[in-house]
Amino acid sequence: MTSPMSPEKFIVPIGPQHPALKEPGHFEFTVNGEIVTNASARLGFVHRGMEKGAENRTWVQDLYLMERVCGICSHVHAMAFAIGVEQLAKVQAPPRAQAIRVLIAELERIHSHLLWLGVAAHEGGFDTLFMYSWRDRETVMDLLETISGNRVNYSANVIGGVKIDINDAQKDALHKGMDFLEERTRHYYKVVTEDETFLGRTRNVGKMTFEQAEFLGAIGPTGRASGLQRDVRVDSPYAGYPQFPVKVVTATAGDLEARFVVRIEELYESYRLVREIIDNIPAGELAARVPRRIPEGETISRVEAPRGELLYFLKSNGSDKPERVKVRTPSLCNWASVLVTAVGHKLADMPMILAGIDPCFSCNDRVVTVTDHSNSNQMSWEALRQYGIEFYK
Amino acid sequence: MGLEDDLKLAESLLEKITISTSRPEENRVDIVIEAASIKTAAKILLRDGNWGYLSAITAMDSPEYSIDETTKEKKLIPGCGNVEVLYHFCRGAAVATVRVSLPYADPSIDTICDILSSATLYEREAAELLGVVFRGTPNTDRLILPESWPDGVYPLRKAFTSLKDIQTPEEGVCS
Repeated sequence: MTSPMSPEKFIVPIGPQHPALKEPGHFEFTVNGEIVTNASARLGFVHRGMEKGAENRTWVQDLYLMERVCGICSHVHAMAFAIGVEQLAKVQAPPRAQAIRVLIAELERIHSHLLWLGVAAHEGGFDTLFMYSWRDRETVMDLLETISGNRVNYSANVIGGVKIDINDAQKDALHKGMDFLEERTRHYYKVVTEDETFLGRTRNVGKMTFEQAEFLGAIGPTGRASGLQRDVRVDSPYAGYPQFPVKVVTATAGDLEARFVVRIEELYESYRLVREIIDNIPAGELAARVPRRIPEGETISRVEAPRGELLYFLKSNGSDKPERVKVRTPSLCNWASVLVTAVGHKLADMPMILAGIDPCFSCNDRVVTVTDHSNSNQMSWEALRQYGIEFYK
Repeated sequence: MGLEDDLKLAESLLEKITISTSRPEENRVDIVIEAASIKTAAKILLRDGNWGYLSAITAMDSPEYSIDETTKEKKLIPGCGNVEVLYHFCRGAAVATVRVSLPYADPSIDTICDILSSATLYEREAAELLGVVFRGTPNTDRLILPESWPDGVYPLRKAFTSLKDIQTPEEGVCS
């Protein structure tokens, strides 16, 4: 160990396996006794080459590829991509499709925020809250499965609209589910704002001021917990949000407690929106026709993922394949804030601070799949496709 | 302020260093500038003009192709082309994209990390995947690619297909 007088540094490496979270990332915390004096990150352990891969596939195939950028917020990726392609093709998805897109996006936000609530509670040593919130999360997972047939990667979007519809039985189930979850969420709100032991782990921990949040480019609930009024759903409404507006939820404290409060209040807002959509869903078609070849051009599609602003930049060269697909995911923006706010805190607070931004590793890590040694087990895309067809026969 | 006002403001703020502007979409303005003025542009938008925030940096390969007269087949001319770097600034619904184009021979540009420290992750991504050199960027460690990845190989360049295919490029004739 190092004494305050000695010039040597003591560095605690954490990860890449299990750096507090169940995803790979490597962190180095320089400590002086218990206090962290510097932090750095190394990402890229789940890099899969999606941006390059997208250039070799057709627009339609890419929709499925992009849905798989993230396992938690899969729908927003597919939606952002589909909206971008529709902008390029100058096609408008019908109003019913826009409403269903928002419906699924809000259900996904509910599942993502509840998942985070559990993970963050677990990092704080509060496993009871973790188990209860994940039990309740099953409600929304079941609803998503009832609507789309899938627990993850709902595959709701097509270019030009959606391919799933909502019937009356599903509407009833959604109402019941929202009522149950709202009641449970009110309880969780009480727990995270009143439980003394838990507050000891969250209040005034990982504090980020408004100025810091703005300067570091924090986004989503992480930024909003520091008072940053930024939400793409409100700033630049897309899909069904012009018809079904949301309210921006912010807090001013900027600590971990505020991040809990903001996410939980966003859950209330999502429950309200889901009810409003199913009660007032416009009738009509589910999808518009889109040509296979997309006209030349560039577009930017921004959506609010559960973790913050997600940006897609798309360039078409007029063929059936994109020239460039650039994805900027919200977790990437929030890393900077973690590394700065970590300084000055105890090493034991690091798991909570890391979890506080709701990081998503596979989001950050996209590009290149090629391995640098020849592996006889490596499968070509065609072989993999054939294998899939045979497997599911 | 409305969308149109925001876009006009961005145009007027950068007027002195602008080469050309275009409005590709209703909520967007594209402003082409010289690579040398990127620091000035970032400073004007983020500090002096307080025009929104930097949402992303997109780097994009734009190689030169030769087209076969008879087969109409497009072929890359090795070593010829540009890397375009796009800085997307957002304010509400408005998106101002500041564009620079860097030739393969010298794909370097000043860092903007001294103006906005969080740009470092975007710059490192563009540096690793497309070989843009950010002069003065505080950290050039590998962010995404494995440590064993060969130097000078940029996977998002169009010329890159697989590590197995890498060979020294023959000199092409650039236009």
